Amino acid sequence: MSHHEKDMIMVTDATERIAHWILALSCLFCVITGLGLMFHAWAIIPTVLGGYYATKWMHIFSGVIFAIATGYAYFMWAKDSMFEKDDLGWMMQAGGYLWEAKNLPPVYKYNAGQKAFFWCVIAFGALIVVSGLAMVNAQIFPPMIARWAFMLHALSGLVIAAFIVIHIYLGTIGNPGTVGAMITGYCSRAWCQTHCPRWLEEKEKK
Amino acid sequence: MAEYIKLVDVSRCAGCRGCQVACKQWNELPAEKTGFTGSYQNPPDLSFDTWNLIRYDEIEQDGKLRWIMRHDACMHCDHPACVKVCPTGALAKTDEGAVIHDPKLCIGCKACTAGCPFDVPRYSKAADKIAKCTLCYSRITNGRTPACVMACPTGCLSFGNKDEMMEKAIKRAETINGTVYPNNPKYPTHVVCVFPNNIKASDLSHTNPHPSMPLLVLLWKNLLKPFTLLGIGAVAGGAALHYLIKGPHEVHEKKEGGE
Repeated sequence: MSHHEKDMIMVTDATERIAHWILALSCLFCVITGLGLMFHAWAIIPTVLGGYYATKWMHIFSGVIFAIATGYAYFMWAKDSMFEKDDLGWMMQAGGYLWEAKNLPPVYKYNAGQKAFFWCVIAFGALIVVSGLAMVNAQIFPPMIARWAFMLHALSGLVIAAFIVIHIYLGTIGNPGTVGAMITGYCSRAWCQTHCPRWLEEKEKK
Repeated sequence: MAEYIKLVDVSRCAGCRGCQVACKQWNELPAEKTGFTGSYQNPPDLSFDTWNLIRYDEIEQDGKLRWIMRHDACMHCDHPACVKVCPTGALAKTDEGAVIHDPKLCIGCKACTAGCPFDVPRYSKAADKIAKCTLCYSRITNGRTPACVMACPTGCLSFGNKDEMMEKAIKRAETINGTVYPNNPKYPTHVVCVFPNNIKASDLSHTNPHPSMPLLVLLWKNLLKPFTLLGIGAVAGGAALHYLIKGPHEVHEKKEGGE
């Protein structure tokens, strides 16, 4: 931490940050191209990207990157995202985000909301990848299976797209001081005390 | 603009496959290599290069064999599921009633093959596109009948004004004590069949007994599609309101030395 101030603490290492941005950018690109393919009124998206056919393939390739990044994220963050007893108490008070919370259970690395977001990306990410694979190979399935695939792809896209908005808000202006965790990797000591006190305690004991 | 119907009087089909050949010829579709499958069925199914075929069904009724031959092709739905799900507008409904397909716009996404209640559009991996019957749109807009109808020697296939053909279908069904298919007034089609007496759609291969706009297509396009924008908008609006009302979640610094 040579060039960082003394009270800055590394909360995400370079591997995590790179994996996060590969996942985030491939996901965002899939959302944009997906919306372009879903809404005729947004033909501007495929037009800018070089037409519908090119957009279809870009959506598929970006989806492959998303699938790999989501798989990697699972092995990277699943351990710290396992729900524990305290998460219920955190959830019941919405983490103090909506009203003043009293005696919020101290968080380890990720709070219950972050864990929920993680598992949402994993679950609906798996669903969107599996249904996407079925769509690409729709000709080998009975139409009924293909029909389910298209419907579930739209459903998981909706859930992931809506969750992304919350994720971006809470990771930037909603929680000042947080965005650095995914850029430089460092957050302030005070930030750690607020957002991941148990993790900080354990880290500093070492 | 007149609305047309192609009438398929199944009771009159002799299984000559003239319609299959005429379709290939007019639409310049190559022949396919096929094999013997134990029945007259040949080619075995619709494909990228086969837009219509006769389905041969051997049905046993009261110890007697009935051989039913049905001309099968796109049913040209009034409110087609394929058009509803097509992302590029490659599939389109025309005023004449035909559901046409523009290969230049098709991106091979296969949404139509999943959406179609009759399993009609067929995908080709080589072309990365789908293809299907267009009711010979270039012919019917120039005062001709579709190629298959022109080739039919028995009067099984006929083509004409929507109301006249519907009347003809009902009369014919009454005469032979048969049924008109599809009979879902909520999902009208521009191809209408007359089945012979005692033959139901469920007796025949590759025939949807209850054609309608598939429920999963409705869920996908009428609910999830608008909800995608609504969902993203509602969440973004919620975040903005949260920022304005509750404000950002500031870090609370602990006093030095305090644990």
